[in-house]
Amino acid sequence: MAKRVRQGLYYVLLWLVSIGFFLPVFWIFLAAFKTKDQILAIPPEWFFTPTLENIRNMVIGLNFGKYAMNSVIVSLSAVTIALIVSFFASYSFSRFKPKGTDFLMFLLLSMRMVPGAAVVVPIYLMYTALGWKDTYFGIILFYAMFSIPFSVWILKGFIDGVSLRYDETALVNGGSRFHVMFKVVLPQVKPGLVAAFIFNMIFVWNEFLFNFIIGGKNVTTIPVALASGLYKTHGVDWTFIASLSLVYMLPLILMIYFFQRYLLVGMTFGTVRGEV
Amino acid sequence: MKGLAKSLHDRNLLPYVLLVPVLIFFIVWNVLPLLWMVGLSFYKYDITTGEPLKFLGLTNYKGIFENTGIWQALSKTFWFVIIGVGLETILGMALGFLFWGSAKMPGRRLALTLLFSPMILTPVAAGTFFRLIYDPVFGIANYYLKQWFGITVNFLGDAKWAYPAVLLVDIWMWTPFMILMTLAALGSVPKAELEAAEVDRLPWIKRLWHIVLPHGKFILMLGILLRTIDSFKTMDLVYTMTSGGPGNATELIAISLFRRAFEAFTMGNASALAIITLLIAIAFTSIYLYILNYKERRA
Repeated sequence: MAKRVRQGLYYVLLWLVSIGFFLPVFWIFLAAFKTKDQILAIPPEWFFTPTLENIRNMVIGLNFGKYAMNSVIVSLSAVTIALIVSFFASYSFSRFKPKGTDFLMFLLLSMRMVPGAAVVVPIYLMYTALGWKDTYFGIILFYAMFSIPFSVWILKGFIDGVSLRYDETALVNGGSRFHVMFKVVLPQVKPGLVAAFIFNMIFVWNEFLFNFIIGGKNVTTIPVALASGLYKTHGVDWTFIASLSLVYMLPLILMIYFFQRYLLVGMTFGTVRGEV
Repeated sequence: MKGLAKSLHDRNLLPYVLLVPVLIFFIVWNVLPLLWMVGLSFYKYDITTGEPLKFLGLTNYKGIFENTGIWQALSKTFWFVIIGVGLETILGMALGFLFWGSAKMPGRRLALTLLFSPMILTPVAAGTFFRLIYDPVFGIANYYLKQWFGITVNFLGDAKWAYPAVLLVDIWMWTPFMILMTLAALGSVPKAELEAAEVDRLPWIKRLWHIVLPHGKFILMLGILLRTIDSFKTMDLVYTMTSGGPGNATELIAISLFRRAFEAFTMGNASALAIITLLIAIAFTSIYLYILNYKERRA
């Protein structure tokens, strides 16, 4: 009995810790259902009659549909391109180990370790010179490039885990290389693909700096809309920011709920395997 | 298609053909801009004045080493990383151990989703909202400070408080990551050894030292390094909260770079600084990979 009580208290404690970390996020979400006065109310209002007015205003408001579409189009296409390209490369790295594999893998990883602000300067100059600024082509391929290192690292790890015997057997039985790659290896690295997909999505979805600098009014995504929504004529537009944050965060939260077992692989570039 | 693949394979070209797309991306989006940037770092290039490029040699670099602002930004970044990652590691490990026995917890998946939600929050949204939370008049943080301690702090407006306030948000966002890594490290400890320790009634400090640490330290090291690299890059979060201010109280290196390039529009100067940060980032990456390979060689 005492043991069960202790167990129960332990779980309550864990739940409290989890809720504690969630609290600021929750505070943002609550604000999405408040009026402007309620958001700025002192003392803070924890209990109130929720209103859907903010979300309605935001959805019918100017450009929301466009920005949301941009976010979806840009992130989905960039990540898909990156995954295809990375699958080819990581298959080559894993199976043929061409000269310079280690060096290339190193270069790829260091690309992602560089502060965005350092990369954005030359990219901005190049994009201005080539006229790629504010084009879907420019922004999508840029994000694809940014998603490649991560995907290559994850996928190579997973392909390394598929025994070479599979390739050999299929080849001996007259299968082509493409058959081996797509019909034999690809199905076995699905978890890697999912992990790479989710984590690049999170990154591209939340990315602000590059869209702000090399984007423009055609390709504006929601994080940039959020940052620019800050300054309306009557000061900061809190209801807009709160409802936009809520709508924008929900897909990611659902993603880490349903794909929780990929969280670890994703957050560590595939260098740590396992579940939590 | 089949014939093509076969002929490629016969001539051993396939491995390279498969790499072509990645190499194109790499050359167009990395090598070219990098060379461009290296070149520019030797010039005076001010995009607002429209002056023609002027060759300066190493002056931009010299300027950076003589500019006290850069050293301040570097030291602020350095402390941001040390204190931030340090506290995240300590807190994350403590909470990670706390969550160790949670495998059968009811609603565990939901609890972990809530726990990990800060790290997937859009940094721009987090930064923006913390301006409200920290606000001296309308902010919830100040309301409770006043209620409980009778004080009001202008967190983001006061140069003395802005830095710790920003750091606190970073710690809130990224402690869950170290919890995740600690859980992974603990998961990598073989169950048999723990059971043996249980049978031997080994004191818990010895279990920690002789069983958990040797198995788990590799994953923890990777976690700390990844956080170090990420924390060095911090930009969106702090920029939306304070824009590096008040004054330059929260001007981390990435923000300093951004301001040089897109507020002062001194591209040559920004390029030189970008190259220096690039070298620092490459050094971090090398350490990361060294540790990764070290583990592989021993395994």
